[in-house]
Amino acid sequence: MSSFPYYGPADIDALNAQAVTLLKLFKAKGYDRQEPSVLQPAALFLDRSGEEIRRRTFTLTDPSGSDLALRPDLTIPIAKRVVESEPHFPARISYNGPVFRHESKGGKPVQFFQAGVELFGEPDKAKGDAEILTLAVEALRAAGCTDFTIRMGDLGLFGALVDALQLPAHWRSRLKRHFWRAGYVETLLDRIGHGDETSRLPQDEKDIAALLEAQGDAPLAGRTRAEVITRARAEAAEVLKLDGNVAGAITRLLDISAPIAQALADIRALLKTAGIHLDAGLAAVEARVALLQKLGVDRIEFNAHFGRSMEYYTGFVFELRSKDGVELAGGGRYDNLLELLGAFAPVTAVGCAIHTERLLATVKGAA
Amino acid sequence: MSKPKETKLVIAIPSKGRLKEACGEWFAARGVVLEQEAGSRGYRARFAGMPQIEVMLLSASEIANALLAGDVHLGITGEDLLREAAPELEGRLYLAAPMGFGFADVVVAVSRAWIDVSTMADLDDVCAAFAATHKKRLRVATKYAELTRSCFARNGIADYRIVPSAGATEGAPAAGTAEVIVDITTTGATLRDNGLKILDDGVILKSQATLAASLTAEWDADARAACEQLFAALNADYPALSAQL
Repeated sequence: MSSFPYYGPADIDALNAQAVTLLKLFKAKGYDRQEPSVLQPAALFLDRSGEEIRRRTFTLTDPSGSDLALRPDLTIPIAKRVVESEPHFPARISYNGPVFRHESKGGKPVQFFQAGVELFGEPDKAKGDAEILTLAVEALRAAGCTDFTIRMGDLGLFGALVDALQLPAHWRSRLKRHFWRAGYVETLLDRIGHGDETSRLPQDEKDIAALLEAQGDAPLAGRTRAEVITRARAEAAEVLKLDGNVAGAITRLLDISAPIAQALADIRALLKTAGIHLDAGLAAVEARVALLQKLGVDRIEFNAHFGRSMEYYTGFVFELRSKDGVELAGGGRYDNLLELLGAFAPVTAVGCAIHTERLLATVKGAA
Repeated sequence: MSKPKETKLVIAIPSKGRLKEACGEWFAARGVVLEQEAGSRGYRARFAGMPQIEVMLLSASEIANALLAGDVHLGITGEDLLREAAPELEGRLYLAAPMGFGFADVVVAVSRAWIDVSTMADLDDVCAAFAATHKKRLRVATKYAELTRSCFARNGIADYRIVPSAGATEGAPAAGTAEVIVDITTTGATLRDNGLKILDDGVILKSQATLAASLTAEWDADARAACEQLFAALNADYPALSAQL
């Protein structure tokens, strides 16, 4: 496929017709369409997103010197609008339009269409997850795609698991922060399990302050003196001890990638080994499975390590794939994004984006 | 590029500074003499007795780009510049041999006042805390954006942004234009003078001048023969390089 897609009359008509079908379904479920501009202030993506999004974002400078970006997704501009307009919650928004992403490997299109939905401020998270998941399944079927599998994970489950461990707070947040990175969490766990983290800082607060003074005119570089001292004290005080068996059980748990029934059985067995109870978290996963089965989706894979490369997801994550393994739609919960964008209070958020060109190609291929 | 008819192979070497001198010495020590070409304003040279090889004198960073563009067959420049210009070397560049001079490290450095930060894991914590507290990403000043990205990705750091720096990067934390820097250092003295320290696991690349071959240049039989002749004169053998061409 070309890096620069060109849509002939038949292609664009088919894509538009599919978009009309999807948007009609979203509208019927209470999701009204919004359309942020294609060009956005670069800072919206660059300041608040991680480097992974930044790396893939096209930026340019306008003649007056302002930095602009071609939107790499519609979720962030829509979420920003929600923060600024403070709508009545829960707010339901749909969209359909092109997004732009740099691909380091050549041959992939740098522009493609996405249709999606976002649900903001629904206090019942299980209800919100179910609504978006149902809508994603219905959307694929409305477009004529009936043969697909679902892969899901839950970053919240891992968070609950980490909270149950006897670890210093910053180690817990470190583990949670890196959940989405295959391999790295295992390295961290291995380090904790072997207890090789020994502090080189003095234990006494006075000594820590004296050590800072001894650095002379070295700049504080954006942090306050209090920030440095507080973290130094936490580091000095920490004693890392995690039973090697527990660390091992978590590592094996993160490795689980299996059909849902098998995955749940494996998770339960490993939790038992580690002596950790996660009943609420597992019940949430089971509720989603029951919902999918009711919807007639029975090929469900659970991947305990499944985060997404876009770093803002915080809870339930899923993707729908064609029978050939092509990712057609993906989404999940991202409860922290609105605060990062300037909201004064937490706003729950869950959404889903459909790669409409792949969906169209899949439906055509099956016909 | 236009080249004189007899030219079969083009090699680029640094046009100024310590790298230029060291390069000249390296060739001279192997009995290969560089002769400036008349009227070329110092941009072109030849090796004595090898009319089929043209030597281009380019700035160290231009050499990496000339290799990637396939404008030159061989080039000698810092590994840091090569890896920064081509994060994915495969099919584009082949690093044939380290030269044994031009040593320098690309490092992650933070203020010495950050007494609680000595490893990349510490920096990761601070990046996340900075984003949460200040509602913006911690800034990393560097001219090595690609090397920084891949190093930070390896260490799982996502909450930061790169601020391109054209020069005097070491002054950025004191000037308030960035919190952290990634820069090149030989002795670490400049960093120390600016109140900075290198993280324990913050050496991204131990760089030195490197002989590299462009895999996108035109390697016809004449070019390969000229290359073999040059290596024979240098009494050097790079069988792995020959296999690549």
